[in-house]
Amino acid sequence: MRSAILGVGHHLPPEVETFGVRRPIATDPVGPSTLAVPAANQALAQAGLSAEMVDFIVFATMTPDVTFPGAGCFFQDQMGCTTVGALDIRAQCAGFVFGLVIADQFVRAGAYERILVIGAEVHSSGLDYSDHGAQISALYGDGAGVALVGKGEGTRGMRGAAIHTDGRQYDRFWCEYPASRQHPARMTAEDFRAGRHFITMDVDAVRCFGEDALVAVMAEALQAADVSSDQIDRFIISHILLEVAETAGTRIGVTPSRLNLPAARHGHLSAAALPTALSEEIAAGTLGPGDTVCLAAAGAGFAWGAAVVTL
Amino acid sequence: MRNSRIMSVGHYVPPRVVTNDDLKACMDTSDDWIQQRTGIRERHYSEGWTGAADMGAEAAREALDRAGLRPQDVQCIVFATLSPDVDMPASACLLQNLLDVPGVPAFDVRNQCSGFLYGLAIADKFVKTGTYDHVLLVGGEVHSTGLDLTTRGREVAVIFGDGAGAVVVGPEPDARRGILSTHLHAEGKFAEKLWLESPASRSRPRLTEEMISGAEARIYPKMEGRYVFRHAVNRFPEVIREALDANGLAPADLALLIPHQANLRISQMVAMGLELSERQVFNNIDRYGNTTAGSIPIALYEALEAGRIREGDLVCLAAFGAGFTWASALIRW
Repeated sequence: MRSAILGVGHHLPPEVETFGVRRPIATDPVGPSTLAVPAANQALAQAGLSAEMVDFIVFATMTPDVTFPGAGCFFQDQMGCTTVGALDIRAQCAGFVFGLVIADQFVRAGAYERILVIGAEVHSSGLDYSDHGAQISALYGDGAGVALVGKGEGTRGMRGAAIHTDGRQYDRFWCEYPASRQHPARMTAEDFRAGRHFITMDVDAVRCFGEDALVAVMAEALQAADVSSDQIDRFIISHILLEVAETAGTRIGVTPSRLNLPAARHGHLSAAALPTALSEEIAAGTLGPGDTVCLAAAGAGFAWGAAVVTL
Repeated sequence: MRNSRIMSVGHYVPPRVVTNDDLKACMDTSDDWIQQRTGIRERHYSEGWTGAADMGAEAAREALDRAGLRPQDVQCIVFATLSPDVDMPASACLLQNLLDVPGVPAFDVRNQCSGFLYGLAIADKFVKTGTYDHVLLVGGEVHSTGLDLTTRGREVAVIFGDGAGAVVVGPEPDARRGILSTHLHAEGKFAEKLWLESPASRSRPRLTEEMISGAEARIYPKMEGRYVFRHAVNRFPEVIREALDANGLAPADLALLIPHQANLRISQMVAMGLELSERQVFNNIDRYGNTTAGSIPIALYEALEAGRIREGDLVCLAAFGAGFTWASALIRW
């Protein structure tokens, strides 16, 4: 048995001009759980299911509504999915691929049949809007993408996937504070004034690692799926640095018409990027049943992954 | 499809012991008050630059040793915590770095007191489907750096302690043994009954100096104790029965129940409701307080050391906590 994506949806807040670029930015005080609700309803409608039929939730985010509990709990309440399990995972920019792999496991093991896998972020409320942070902050957007994962039939569904982490450079792309490891207090007013709660990135390290990681993991997922690059209708590649995703696509031999780079349209949506791009194409009719996509993402952690899925 | 089993258990608690009397130095409280309400006598606090991953790595090394495995044999790392070393990336990345196994997938589970059991459900599936043979599951917390250790925060602060536990989950060839089933639940309606608000991405901005050091600081956990208690004493027995029912078993069949160590009074009510004898329930909250994602593996470690679990025994792990989330796992040891 394999799992399949039975429906997808996405929701982006209106675009706002920030740092000289237009980005989807949540101007109301909302968390990722709230952005994910319309996206999930869209995914459910596409699958012909209702919220009461969902039997599990996997929520991938690095910007949860509150510090704890997880965004999945807030999402569950807004969806009215009564008392089903709501798992929150943290795998940063690769969160959606990790979530898809976990959902695939639950379906294959026969534990659940209708899982909402969410990738959603509200980055904008945590960005450094000073000149110092502009370079990185300008890269981000807010949004949510959702896939309803259930049982696949025949070749429809998850064909192959690969997920990886390399923690050796965890501090090359991170948000250090609050840091529970700092004693006696994980976050002080001094840490705040020093801006230690903002994301910092070593652009060279992230570029260098990301490109090779994306190329290798796409090859690995294709091999696991036992399909060649030519059989993929669309490569959706997400990386905070647009040129890294683009180069990775070129290196794996993808023609521009088969390449979808979500960062080119929305900035970096982290865990939300891949399901949003997939949903956009399905809504536009440029992808549909029978098409095979390769979803790949790499980022902080470093964590990266790819999945080959037939719609 | 094959079953999975817990191959080995490891644990780590930091050396510094903080007794109830020690807490009197920073807040108005008493040993009697704390023991009466929670059953806690003392807890451990970490020191220096010690995070959940540092403690988790110690617990993981012990678990790997006991399974006769090396870090290189681990194929996936699942880290359950609500007090990550840094805000981002996941503590699993730092743990993986400490174990020096680059490339192995590593991610965090953020399901509070039920985090270890949510992680166990994931590890179980990865092994069941044959995707991995050895999944390292770690649960650990450094609570002590995030508590309001003044009289204002005493109701919550006295409960929590630091610590970590780890298990290696691997294949079980006998279909009647190993992890028989896992059961996961949540009810987000009550998310704000036990929570830590800030930083909160739903606030704009996510964090202010006022939230950190203002009179109404929002960077400390808050709890409506009685509310949580009432739900816990219902959900615990419910999810334990769900696991037993799914396997055609009854409370009397249990050799041992290891409830998440939230509060001794909750564990006692749960035992009473299920008509379990003292010998059928394991508690160690008196010495560790509530170590959240660390509590079940630490208790499991001690139960095994004390000879409370023998081969063939039916063991139930159960949790309830913030979210609300609750969960259980039934294991034929």
